[in-house]
Amino acid sequence: MLKENISLSQLLTLLINFLLGSAIVVGVGGDAKKDAWIAIAVSIMFGFGIMLFYYFLISRVPGKNLYELMEMGFKRPIAIIFSSIYVVYFLYLASRVVRDFGELIASAILPSTPIEVISLTICLAMAYILYLGLEVLGRTSEIFTPYLFGFLFLLTILLFASGNADLNEIKPVLGDGLKPVLKALFPTLIVFPFGELIAFSLILPVVTNFKYCLRVSLLGVAIAGALLLFAMFLMIVTLGADALLRSNFPMLSSAREVSIGNFIERIDALVVFIMMLGILVKGSVFMFAGLKGLEYTFRLPYRYFSLPVAMLVSAYSVLISVNFGDHWQEGLEMVPYFLHLPMQFGLPSLLLIAVLWRKRKKKAKPGTKGMKF
Amino acid sequence: MSILKSLLKMRKKKEYPVQVEEAAVAGPDLKNLNLEQLKEKIIAEFGSTIDLSIDELKTEGKDALLVYLTTMIDTKSLKETILQSISGQKEGFHLSTEDDLKSLCKEKFGGAGYQLVETFDEIIISLLYGNIIILFKDMEKALSLSMAIGEDRSITEPSTQTVIRGPKDGFVESITTNVSLLRRRIKNRNLRFERFIIGSETNTTVYIGYMDGIANEKIVEEVRKRLGKIKVNAIFESGNIEELIADKAATPFPLALNSERPDAVASNLLEGKIAILIDGTPFVLVVPAVLVDFFSIAEDYYQNFMMGSFLRIIRYVSFMIALITPSLYVGILTFHHELLPTPLLLGIIAQREGVPFPAVIEVILMEVTFEILREAGVRMPRAVGQTVSIVGALVIGQAAAEAGIISNIMVIIVAITAIANFVSPTYSFAAAARLLRFLLIIVSSILGLYGVLIVLVFIVAHLSSLRSFGIPYLSPVAPFIIEQQKDVFFRFPIWSMRKRPAYLKTQNPEKFPKTGSPSPPPMKGDQPN
Repeated sequence: MLKENISLSQLLTLLINFLLGSAIVVGVGGDAKKDAWIAIAVSIMFGFGIMLFYYFLISRVPGKNLYELMEMGFKRPIAIIFSSIYVVYFLYLASRVVRDFGELIASAILPSTPIEVISLTICLAMAYILYLGLEVLGRTSEIFTPYLFGFLFLLTILLFASGNADLNEIKPVLGDGLKPVLKALFPTLIVFPFGELIAFSLILPVVTNFKYCLRVSLLGVAIAGALLLFAMFLMIVTLGADALLRSNFPMLSSAREVSIGNFIERIDALVVFIMMLGILVKGSVFMFAGLKGLEYTFRLPYRYFSLPVAMLVSAYSVLISVNFGDHWQEGLEMVPYFLHLPMQFGLPSLLLIAVLWRKRKKKAKPGTKGMKF
Repeated sequence: MSILKSLLKMRKKKEYPVQVEEAAVAGPDLKNLNLEQLKEKIIAEFGSTIDLSIDELKTEGKDALLVYLTTMIDTKSLKETILQSISGQKEGFHLSTEDDLKSLCKEKFGGAGYQLVETFDEIIISLLYGNIIILFKDMEKALSLSMAIGEDRSITEPSTQTVIRGPKDGFVESITTNVSLLRRRIKNRNLRFERFIIGSETNTTVYIGYMDGIANEKIVEEVRKRLGKIKVNAIFESGNIEELIADKAATPFPLALNSERPDAVASNLLEGKIAILIDGTPFVLVVPAVLVDFFSIAEDYYQNFMMGSFLRIIRYVSFMIALITPSLYVGILTFHHELLPTPLLLGIIAQREGVPFPAVIEVILMEVTFEILREAGVRMPRAVGQTVSIVGALVIGQAAAEAGIISNIMVIIVAITAIANFVSPTYSFAAAARLLRFLLIIVSSILGLYGVLIVLVFIVAHLSSLRSFGIPYLSPVAPFIIEQQKDVFFRFPIWSMRKRPAYLKTQNPEKFPKTGSPSPPPMKGDQPN
């Protein structure tokens, strides 16, 4: 299997795009209403903790990814079972991401185009990128990231310039007390988007200059968190809490408010661009994580699987739920408890304990020999 | 899986023997043949071609044969120098051993570039390169003297890649002239040239040039290897070589830079790149090429850095315009009316009222028409040049719009696309935009702006996967190198660009020691004492 490496700057852009990904499309922390931005600010702290946890797990054995660690911790047959579960988990998440995007495009940009077409085309793009390899994914995200920042900056300027942003909207701060914030935080905000960083346990081991990996990852979480916070802030001051809660795609709704001199109007395309890039990276990273699992299980280069798996993801993105409401509910009420928590924290913790135990046993062995000497 | 493995193995086995320098040198030695036989053999090799001349002569007490192709050599200097110097006979001197031959050469042709050849095939090759051969009786070696002449075009201003400020000389078809143009610019002993003979039937001379001590040895070796692997019969232009040594064939983007300008090639050599010169064409290849090379031209460095940066950004922008304008038009008119301000939209719709086609047909029709006009403009005889421009302007510009086949806005779209496309300094790169434009138009007519974005993602992914001699095509943007950003979208002042491109991994990464920005001498009052 081909040895691939990505640079630190590529890791950084991947992290930023990944975390913004669908989070910016659907908006997070809506439960906290006006205080959603506080919930996000707090969740960034948890994001650091989660990143540290995954880094700690991965850095126990340098150069080994999640699946190889599982083999080390549990032996291959069990590792294959667990990795298959992870493959399904990652591909399911990829489908969810694609579905989010499909709904966005179908409801906002191309209303009469069937969602299947959107899913299929974006999955084809992902398949092509992954067929070309992780390096290409890294470079693609590196190319597009400056535009992401540029568009976000432009959007902010336009929103404030057109007078739609009203800073009074965030008042009163913590008007309903801490309860809604906590409700938004646990577990939704923690598992989505930060907990999903588990997918990076497949990418971290192939970063060149692993020494600085932790710093860059934390920086990535910080930047993405700040952007998320900023985007949420922007949405609150533009839309107000009520419209925010009612809107399916708050970012898009706020962009629609822009109107300057009756000339610059309807800049939805810009927002869709921001979102599409994030979706592309996030979907691809999940798909990559799934493909790596297949590579581990079948001992075949993951590129072979990229097209068929992308087609599966595209099909499942349509099949997983009957409509957007269903999809939304599934994402808020089922997935965090039954999928995210065990897959993001349960299994990895178990794995960490197993790996540490194995390592200790290994270390102990030469130690006893030394005693004899 | 096993089938795949065996396939992979088979592919590995097929490796070609690396062939460096000279076409295979073999064949019968001269010592086994006498003059008569040699003469017959040469005649047999060349057949009845009219430009083969075999003269018998007697010199230094020995029978000899003078063989050359009359069309390939300078007959005037043959008569003046060679024949005069060998016809005079020295008393009591007899050519018998190889040493005698050597001393004769030293005496008579010292400095004239003589060579002793041993095998029959060497003789044939020498003849084809415009050497004259003197075969002495009973000698094991023959004398080969370089006397090639070719009617060269004189050095003129390059017809492509013109500049306003900068040197006006361009490469010509003769490879030796081209090398001298480079040598004259880089007076440095580290400038190296190596010769390859490529093409089993054309035996074309190909030189690679690089700066020893700067260029990355691994890349030079890779260039040698790829040139050595070439197994085709004919090489006529740098395009042939480019296609044969590229890392990937299935791409619309050029993976080697071509230039007609000696100053551009010289500056690239000093960056650590490698030039490939091909005999018979004024286009010199430069490898490895990265995407940003196709947007920077020599003139950027000859004028004020602000203007240079501005023009470079204009070039990037116009590439994007050339690539996506028609598809944006189609996408917006078909799916996203709301993106346009209402008055503008009303204007466009009103214009399109009489147009019988959907936007996509209109665009394709006009783009194809324009491509036809453009091709006609290039191919037709110069004398009728006016005709096409008049017909084109009338047909595209006026008549079609007046007849209601297309809208006026469409004319603007086609015009801006075409003009933006001409901005690209390298023709082969502009071709990529010309091709991909049609793909974008078609996808955009199906999926709107979303389709345009998807295709752009595909293009960027494709570009990220490309490599030119192992160097990622999008460096230094992706992989991102901060130091090199001084020469990508902007052109920083020359004193600040001290480093050679890091992605080339040159042997000597620094161009010159650190110097500050030039500043005026201190004024009288400023000095403390």
